[in-house]
Amino acid sequence: MIVFFACLVALTFGSFVFQLFLPPVMLLNGAAILFAPIVYFYGCVSLPFPLVLALTFVTGLLDDLFAVPQSGDHAQYTVGISIMIYLLPGIIMHGLRPLFLTHRWRIHFLLAEISAALVPFILLAQYAILSVERSNFFFNDIIIWRIVGPGLISLLIAPCVFFILTPLSDALGYRPGLPLAR
Amino acid sequence: MKSTTIAAIGIFALLVILILLSPQSTKQQMQGALFQLISPILRTGASVGNEIGGVSGGLKRLDELQRENEQLRSEIEQLRAENSLLANLEKEVNRLNRALGFREQSPFKLLPARVITRVSATWWNTCTISCGSNEGVAPDMAVVTESGLVGKVTTVGRNISVVLLVTDESLRVSVTIEGTQEQGIISGTRASSTYAPDLRIRFLSKSAKLQPGMKVLTAGTGGVFPSGLVVGMIKDFTANELEGVAKVTPAVDLADIENVFVILRQK
Repeated sequence: MIVFFACLVALTFGSFVFQLFLPPVMLLNGAAILFAPIVYFYGCVSLPFPLVLALTFVTGLLDDLFAVPQSGDHAQYTVGISIMIYLLPGIIMHGLRPLFLTHRWRIHFLLAEISAALVPFILLAQYAILSVERSNFFFNDIIIWRIVGPGLISLLIAPCVFFILTPLSDALGYRPGLPLAR
Repeated sequence: MKSTTIAAIGIFALLVILILLSPQSTKQQMQGALFQLISPILRTGASVGNEIGGVSGGLKRLDELQRENEQLRSEIEQLRAENSLLANLEKEVNRLNRALGFREQSPFKLLPARVITRVSATWWNTCTISCGSNEGVAPDMAVVTESGLVGKVTTVGRNISVVLLVTDESLRVSVTIEGTQEQGIISGTRASSTYAPDLRIRFLSKSAKLQPGMKVLTAGTGGVFPSGLVVGMIKDFTANELEGVAKVTPAVDLADIENVFVILRQK
């Protein structure tokens, strides 16, 4: 279990680095391609609660450190806020863990799509906090695309990530809800 | 609830509070260390990307090459003409500089750097450049190209730095409009569908006489940006009940920057 957790932490880190090289999708008004939240959500459904908290901490902190410019004495978006933002959808996904433990591929596919649908929630929460900090809240179609677009892209990515991580988990000897492999 | 779960919640809450309350300088150091850690990956990735781009860019069709050749020939003619004009101008400027006792070279000490990645985060516009504290770069230093202002350094690693671009909404620069007494604050947009969105100047006077094409220059107040750096050109001007607002086309094509200079200090 610990080996798989360490592997997920490494994959989350790798996803954030990989995202730096991915250009925004101009067809979707500059929507970003996000892998890290999907890896995180897989961890939320597969790991026990204490490790979900640890993964939430790592993912939220890395998200802020990779993306938020730390300018001046007072940053407009405090590093660490994203830990709280990731926590709520993470707990929702963890609540669906009994479904994950059925180990049916259709259910895993459904969980992957639910996790993709939660990606815009993270972006919306970040946008709301940023707007409060800047005392300027507005919506236009580009903002909406920036929030919804990554979710649409994740609908395609998430099943692939889920179906890659499940065999990886098996290979590392972590089979939650199943008898231990000999 | 299991005791391990309660302990995990306690430790999690403690760590979150610790991170949220840590001073800004610590967070800057953490970010600097993180980018320093991944800088070999970023440099390798960027050079691989450039090579791939170079190969695909080299595969042009014959008619494209012909068209490009014609275009380049006409540009050469144009540049020759401009060059001879500039040579005369240079002589004149040098003469005036000597007469006034000014130094002939740039008034700034500039450090050249290469853009490693253009970070496409959802809500922030930044890029990473290939120099850091080893070369004397520090937070809040201005970053420019020969065309104008690019942004300012926010986080510094040993040989990598993060630059907040002028197109980001959080970067506000005090500017003046060339040939007028107008002053305002320029900033970018929160989200845009292009790499190089228009900038916006606020707090101009309602009766400002601004024409499209007028140069926008840094005012030099605030201590971060020296005065006289070109930020962009006026695109249009509107006045509401409280203030005048101008749209500005950035001077630097941020979609296509490869090399920049960090202003280390004024000479």
